[in-house]
Amino acid sequence: MSKKIIIAKSTRQINNLLNICDGFIIGIKDLSVNLPCYFTMEEAKKIITLCLENEKEIFVSLNRNMHNDQLSELTTILKELSNLQITGLIFYDIAIINLNQELGLNLKLIWNQEHLATNYCTINYWHKKGVYASYLSSELTIDEIFFIRKKTSCLLMMNVFGFIPMFTSKRPLVKNYLDKFSLNDKSKINYLEKEGNIYPIISEDVTTVYSSKILNLLMEFFNLSKVGIDYFVFNSFNINEDVFKEIIELFNESNGLTDNCLFERVNMLLNYNIDTGFLYKDTVYKVKKNGQKG
Amino acid sequence: MDKKDKPELLAPAGDLERLKIALLYGADAVYVGGDLFSLRANAINFSLEELEEAVLFTHSLSKKLYVTVNIALHNKEADKIINYLEALDKIGVDAIIVSDPFIIDLAIKRTKIPVHLSTQQSTLNYEAIKFFKREGVSRIVLAREVSASDIKLIKEKVDIELECFVHGAMCASYSGRCVLSNFLTARDSNRGGCSQICRWDFKLLNEFQNQLQGEKDFTFCTKDLSLLKHIPDLIELGVDSFKIEGRMRSTYYIATVVNIYRRVIDEYFYDKKNYHYNVEYEKILRNCANRDSVPQFFDGDCGVDCQYYNGRVEVSNQDFLGIVLSYDEQTKLAVIEQRNYFKQGDIVEFFGPNTEPFSVKISEIYDEFNNIIDIVRHPKQIVKLKLQIKVRRNDMMRIKK
Repeated sequence: MSKKIIIAKSTRQINNLLNICDGFIIGIKDLSVNLPCYFTMEEAKKIITLCLENEKEIFVSLNRNMHNDQLSELTTILKELSNLQITGLIFYDIAIINLNQELGLNLKLIWNQEHLATNYCTINYWHKKGVYASYLSSELTIDEIFFIRKKTSCLLMMNVFGFIPMFTSKRPLVKNYLDKFSLNDKSKINYLEKEGNIYPIISEDVTTVYSSKILNLLMEFFNLSKVGIDYFVFNSFNINEDVFKEIIELFNESNGLTDNCLFERVNMLLNYNIDTGFLYKDTVYKVKKNGQKG
Repeated sequence: MDKKDKPELLAPAGDLERLKIALLYGADAVYVGGDLFSLRANAINFSLEELEEAVLFTHSLSKKLYVTVNIALHNKEADKIINYLEALDKIGVDAIIVSDPFIIDLAIKRTKIPVHLSTQQSTLNYEAIKFFKREGVSRIVLAREVSASDIKLIKEKVDIELECFVHGAMCASYSGRCVLSNFLTARDSNRGGCSQICRWDFKLLNEFQNQLQGEKDFTFCTKDLSLLKHIPDLIELGVDSFKIEGRMRSTYYIATVVNIYRRVIDEYFYDKKNYHYNVEYEKILRNCANRDSVPQFFDGDCGVDCQYYNGRVEVSNQDFLGIVLSYDEQTKLAVIEQRNYFKQGDIVEFFGPNTEPFSVKISEIYDEFNNIIDIVRHPKQIVKLKLQIKVRRNDMMRIKK
């Protein structure tokens, strides 16, 4: 049975959504990236307890690229988390898999190298290394996802709703621009505009740029559940909280059936700013000399 | 410092011509992309037959050739990879540069090829390196975001070969964490289709979606990397291989950059006491590039000075005037193939793998039929120049600035 997991913006939102989903993904300050908010360990512990008390799954995402000077803090947090009965630890940096092994922490790890989780062989490689689940790249077609499902017994997690991170940088790009041209701006979120498309950009000590469209796989939900994708992730980043709640309820209501009325309602709620990502769009990577796609 | 500690100078080679130039101009090793599984899908790249020829040439000079196999593999490519690795093994390449751990595992179990971890893994810390070392990787190509102190600590904590980028273009993102190209142009950046969206202009808006208007538009674009000044630091840090970026760069660029880094490495390595930084070298590099360059993250974090706000306008390089095809010591005539316009009276500089740079004022120019001419304006035009100083085949002629 597929589970619905939410990336929430606040403890308040987690409380608000507790009864309409199967679990949450949270980030920790300084060790996570590309999430709508980051908690201190104290806050995280309360959320973990809340989830456990309510029989919800709880994943902690420590998905930054880790520099040497973060390893000490990372080690401390991993040790703490290993005593907290979290459902799983989502990682990008390979340091985490090494520390988990060397320190014998027995954390259940979810491989999430974002754009690199693109084939069943690499997923099986990590599965053999003891990884609990793999978080699929958002740049896969539906056929690739089905094929991966067929060829691996590893648990699979994938995005089905929300803005998708498409760029992560160590450079404070907005600050650099403001500094360069002596501009003042205290926005918590900025946007990039190109040819009528608006891309959210969050630039603190790390810069993240998100897709202009909101991924919405409501119509594919049934088929993806049927083939056995284990976790569907809903990202609340930059979505109004009431709208987000209603969307989760609509996904619940759809109960795995494709339903045009529900789809239209989701569309309306999001001002028709939605798409299906790369599900039906194979990317090109080689342009042959005669102009054919490779 | 023992000669065996001398770091390797590793140069890119987009094709056989550039491979030969890179090696002749002083690279100890070259890295190339094959037809398959390489992150510069739109470069010319090497077929297996060409790779075989490239390996023979490289080994004839007792140098090394590495092949990039660093795409993010998709299902349909997964079945083909083993045949490719076995073919590379048979050809005798000296290493493959890989980012996908499945390919690392396969290569180590099924071939004898040493495996280098690609910068696509964005490796920044010693814990990650410990993991890959256990997996059998023999060298780590560090992320471009590492600082000098990061390198120092890694070297202290893990005994493994380290390769660092020293010169060339930078990704604005952590390598492997950018799919702007996929989203904006449907070209897969992690399979070699990157359309360099980071060099595009965007309007930057505030939270109310009003434009924040600077003199120029927003861009992700970064200046290039140059660690020329820091070569002594890198040698002292014990970095094993100095990598130049740019498999799609020109022959002239490769020759110039390789030649300058070769000189700096040798000058410092063989005579530390008397070493001094030669600003002339920096000028030459600046003249052959089309963008500014800075040390990027080497000194720490990267601020506004690392960014580039020059739109998409990049200066096209006109410095490269010609390449020497031959020289007759009796007549003192050098046969030159033209690359850019030059004329009688111009002051030019010759340089080459075995030719110390020297400048000269062009006096006599002859065409192929020995007629005197005063201007050389046609691409690839063959002409003869009177030169009192000996030049050699593959030496290059550039504008003297």
